[in-house]
Amino acid sequence: MWTTQILREATNSTYTDLVSGKTPALIVPNVLSSSFCISLSRKILKTNLIGFNLGISKKIGTSLSSHIYKKSEYFSNALLSNQTLKNLFSDNVSPIDVMQQTISKILQKKISPAFENEMIYSLAMIRIHEHGDSVHLHRDNSNFEMSEYGISNLKNQLSAILYLQSPHHGGELTIYDKMWDKNDERMRHPEFGYSLDLIKNVTQKKILPVTGNMIIFNPKLYHQVESVIGLKSRISLGFFFGEKSKNHLCSWT
Amino acid sequence: MTDIIWGTVTKIITTNSFEMNVSHQKDTNNDSYQDVEQIHFTEIDIPSIPVDESSRDILQIEQNLKDKFVKCEISGRNSENRLVCSVSHSGAGGY
Repeated sequence: MWTTQILREATNSTYTDLVSGKTPALIVPNVLSSSFCISLSRKILKTNLIGFNLGISKKIGTSLSSHIYKKSEYFSNALLSNQTLKNLFSDNVSPIDVMQQTISKILQKKISPAFENEMIYSLAMIRIHEHGDSVHLHRDNSNFEMSEYGISNLKNQLSAILYLQSPHHGGELTIYDKMWDKNDERMRHPEFGYSLDLIKNVTQKKILPVTGNMIIFNPKLYHQVESVIGLKSRISLGFFFGEKSKNHLCSWT
Repeated sequence: MTDIIWGTVTKIITTNSFEMNVSHQKDTNNDSYQDVEQIHFTEIDIPSIPVDESSRDILQIEQNLKDKFVKCEISGRNSENRLVCSVSHSGAGGY
């Protein structure tokens, strides 16, 4: 049965099962306390350095997908984005550091931010989904889509998401038991994502965005974020990571 | 208004032409297009493909375009029945 693994103790196969998609996702409960998440979410919602992204009302940070062929602009924006996040997290421990330390402990590998020609990649992105926001079916695949960037050469890429605030209803992450294949590109939507025909009759797993939980999954598995319902936003912090060498992971957004 | 089609690049023909599977056509296009079209590109927004045609090679074009989903803004057809287009990447398949 295709089912999520809730972390109690990592096994030898935890990493390989995530990479192969045998496990839809690893849920790591209580990476941050509820009180810390509540306090951080309040601060996030007060900041006015907020942009927007497809399917999302608000975001803080920059990502490669907005700069596929605008490399110098990406690295300039990454510097600003990283400074914004640093300022936002300056009062307390950085949740990005906590996520990285947790991943390092679970997977028994060193993890550090990705650099290219001494330029740092964007460290993470905060996504704020408000009432009615959803993210259409897609996959994240830097190996294929971001060939201008060094991180496209990193193997076994995974995604890490930390939920900072749960919505009242909705906002689940639905992961499908279907890995991207290059032939799927004919099912692309011009602006973003893929035709829903790709996941007809495909097994799915829904993951609730529980405050303080971190999930790790293979982003080449098709996934989508269900519509958020209610006045309380869904707030998440995320980044990707991949293998620079067998025991060294690099992260970026 | 310029006609626009989208689709995946299936074969590189020369350093300035390729074949594509047309999966999307703009609703307000003046003409309709075949499921498979050959494209002669006059402009392309992918930095790894040199603007100067003499500096390009087929392998380089394949590495950057093969299997990619692209947008083609059509300015006409040439004597080889290829669509003459400005080509750019289109959106993203994910974040």
